[in-house]
Amino acid sequence: MNVSLIWWGLGIYIAVSVFIAFLSRTGKQTNMGAYFLGDRKMGGFVSALSYSATTYSAFMLVGLAGLTYRGGVGALGFELIYLMGVSLIAFFGPRFWIVGKKYGYITPSEMIGDRYQSKAVAIAIAISNCLFLIPYSAVQLAGVGYLLQGVSNQQISFSTGVIIAVILAIVFAYIAGMRSVAWTDSLQSLFMIIGSTLVVLFLIHELGGFTGFFQQLETSHPEMLAVPGNGYFSFLTFIGLTIPWFFFSISNPQVSQRLFMPASLKSMRHMLLGFMIFGLIYTFVSIFWGYSAFLLEPGLDNPDLATPVVLSSSAIPPVLAVIVMVGIIAAAVSTIDSILLTLSSMFAKDVYGNIRKNTTDRVQLKIGKFIIPVIALLAYLFAELQLDLIAVLSVASSAGLIVVVPAIIGAFFWKRGTAAAVLASTIIPGALVLILELLQAKPFGLASGLWGLILSILLFIFVSLFTNAPTQKANEFIDYIKKNLQNKK
Amino acid sequence: MKEKSSAIMIGIIVLAAFIIPFTLLKGVEKWYGSFLFWLILTLIVIVCNTMLTKDWSNEE
Repeated sequence: MNVSLIWWGLGIYIAVSVFIAFLSRTGKQTNMGAYFLGDRKMGGFVSALSYSATTYSAFMLVGLAGLTYRGGVGALGFELIYLMGVSLIAFFGPRFWIVGKKYGYITPSEMIGDRYQSKAVAIAIAISNCLFLIPYSAVQLAGVGYLLQGVSNQQISFSTGVIIAVILAIVFAYIAGMRSVAWTDSLQSLFMIIGSTLVVLFLIHELGGFTGFFQQLETSHPEMLAVPGNGYFSFLTFIGLTIPWFFFSISNPQVSQRLFMPASLKSMRHMLLGFMIFGLIYTFVSIFWGYSAFLLEPGLDNPDLATPVVLSSSAIPPVLAVIVMVGIIAAAVSTIDSILLTLSSMFAKDVYGNIRKNTTDRVQLKIGKFIIPVIALLAYLFAELQLDLIAVLSVASSAGLIVVVPAIIGAFFWKRGTAAAVLASTIIPGALVLILELLQAKPFGLASGLWGLILSILLFIFVSLFTNAPTQKANEFIDYIKKNLQNKK
Repeated sequence: MKEKSSAIMIGIIVLAAFIIPFTLLKGVEKWYGSFLFWLILTLIVIVCNTMLTKDWSNEE
């Protein structure tokens, strides 16, 4: 692809989104709630687009397209079952929102710590989230580096791509906190979906329309339309991949924190339904992209290269290829900036705020703002190092974060749950997931996330039964939700 | 739609999304096999969510 065209595409994207980031700077963000939660006044439309941009990273048009290329329709099932799992918001969303307002929670880990009456719980969850999400961000940064390097035929270096992405993420997160993230996310989500949808429609048209497209698959590669198909998506592989992602909307703090932000439950409803429609379209776009790559350039050894290869092939006019490239970079940056903001708020609130005594909200905000570029720098260094361990941690992130799920469900539905049980059910299974990923081991064919989840459920229940629950808080917390759920609906 | 009945309904749909493509639709190598099946299930889940959240209020 022509390098000056790439720079033009990047330049327009950067100029427009930085402009939007500055536009978002109205009002003063002088407290944690204003800076990290947009004052809990987010409207439905912006919330939906921002939630979409945060959830969907470079993984979709690169990784999911690669999975389709490699294993066929199973990739669609995996991603759509994840989307069905977002229904968890319809059950947990109002509960997060109601207690968030009552107790003024800024982070999900703060909520869990308070519910189980334990600072150690808040600190442990905040640290384990950082442990998995910083490498995850690093891999997204590296993704931008590889993409630019690939499409420019090595003329733009890996480091240039990584540096551009990290600077954009810092700028978007720093300028006005959640406000600038939400506004730029909304713009970036439009880049992501409009550009890629147009290009996929173009590709399908080139491949003979939907009828011709499916005919080609059905006649020459029918196994791509069934599971296990060519064998890649065995049932165990499928559930190992899908179950950790099913709980993504409550286990990943950069999205569960969003449940504190909508102005009303009606805004949350718009966020949920808007996201589901966005997700359905973007999933199909990514799957069709993967199938098109398979029909256009079959036989690649590394399916992750399918996207760069198709982008730089002659099948797509260069201008369209640049649009998709910008969409992929926007997808990565809009995920990283939200993670930066969430991890910074967790560090300030849960780690610093609990270790240092008597810190004020203002001091925590200062620490939070200071830590944004520090976390970004860590992610940048990890991306530059290109260590195998980072890739392992990143792949393990959905599996590693799933171990918090029993504690979150327990917080809302089981008064008997205890702080000791939360610590045991997050730390021990979290370590187990890491060890299994490092050893690349799958005992009895089950993936690390499933072992993590099973062990976490067992530990949460058994340790709870033998330790003392914070009964008073549990009653107050759960009864308050029950009373208000009826009033608010 | 009540919370409990929606939870059961969505739960059944998700189970079907895991089981049916690997059993009944295993040999249907057409667009109207697993591809369409997963799409329809997702649309039903979106409708369930729409109904379940219908009464969420505007109150801040």
